Amino acid sequence: MKSPTPAIQIENLTYAYGRADAVHDLNLTVQPGRCYGLFGRNGAGKTTTMKCLLNLLRPQSGHVRVFGLDPAEHEVAVKRRLAYVPEQVAFYPWMSVRETLDYLASFRVQWNRKTEQELFVRFQLDPAQRTGSLSKGQRTQVALIAAVCPEAELLVLDEPTSGLDPIVRREFIETVIGAYQEGNPGNRTILVSTHLITEFEGLIDEFTIIDNGRTVLTLDSDQARERYQKIRARFAQSPPELDLKGALRVRRYGRELELIANGAGPELMERLRQHNPEALSTEALTLEEIFVATLKS
Amino acid sequence: MILQINFKSGMPIYLQVVDQIKAAAASGALRPGEVLPSIRPLAEELRVNRNTVAKAYSELESLGVIETLPGRGCFLKGNHSALRKEVRRKLLIVEIDQAIVQAHHLQVPRQEFLELVNERMDVLEDKRHANVNHKED
Repeated sequence: MKSPTPAIQIENLTYAYGRADAVHDLNLTVQPGRCYGLFGRNGAGKTTTMKCLLNLLRPQSGHVRVFGLDPAEHEVAVKRRLAYVPEQVAFYPWMSVRETLDYLASFRVQWNRKTEQELFVRFQLDPAQRTGSLSKGQRTQVALIAAVCPEAELLVLDEPTSGLDPIVRREFIETVIGAYQEGNPGNRTILVSTHLITEFEGLIDEFTIIDNGRTVLTLDSDQARERYQKIRARFAQSPPELDLKGALRVRRYGRELELIANGAGPELMERLRQHNPEALSTEALTLEEIFVATLKS
Repeated sequence: MILQINFKSGMPIYLQVVDQIKAAAASGALRPGEVLPSIRPLAEELRVNRNTVAKAYSELESLGVIETLPGRGCFLKGNHSALRKEVRRKLLIVEIDQAIVQAHHLQVPRQEFLELVNERMDVLEDKRHANVNHKED
């Protein structure tokens, strides 16, 4: 069976502003229908990577392909199949929300009025309000509505929740992504960059962590939570000298040991058990904890 | 039926949904013929990807636990196993083996383990009775 054309394929991408590489030899593949996370700290190269996909920046070396096409060569063909929400959303401030959406819809072949209406109600937006007087959260909501309604095959979101208050954040990201996927489940692809990983925990199917423009880790979310474990052991006396190879990180406090394991969890558990700990427990790391553990080690 | 996802369990999210719906069916919290929440609202409530819930539902459907009636939703099946007896036994053996390994590590001996199994079955049965009586009220 031939695998489908990836929605996004990035090979050995390098881009530098002046002398410093913002992105260095980056590789990333997003299969259609996936919700893909691009995780990194501020300045890690997330936005630069996204801008190369959208032909807002030209790669200095390497290739980017969107739906198998070079976005520089087939700019229109690529852009009509995707929607992008930048980190900083800007509208014409004198236009009302209604006018803004009509204006944006005029560039699109398709516009789902039903979804638009539904999200209007959910977010309690006033169509008559001028975009200049919207709060940052409301502006992002309008931008997300505008990104979802054209029913593009690919949704690219750059830090969609940063700068928003936690209540707004919690509320709306699932709503938007749910509304987007609903139209054609299994074929709508999302690439989202963020450093606020907790909010996307259950949404992300697969992710890449980048740091200093380089890929640090690419994994399926379920596999990641299975592989990365936090193991805690407490001993009657101070912990014995143990071979803890395979532990990503070891912390000791008094009679207690805490290990972070990447894949070697079961063996480490077995080794600890041989020393008859008073208590021994394990839990999976969340994606955010994996992010922190990966970048610290 | 209230589902709860635990990201720290290390278990794939769709499997957590599958297991909890199976447990709800076994305890009577979900009764044959009862409708399951639709995919999108459930995904939003659990804060997980819509496709994850869809995957869980299709797994439950292939296991014969639920059935989808087009345009009406997903329902819990009455006599819910489409699988042959030996296949069902095989599936159960995997789970039992895991529990036995766990019992060994926790130093729970055979007799105590078996008593515990009996006890848990009673608890589940009580729950089921309670749910049935509740229905008749």
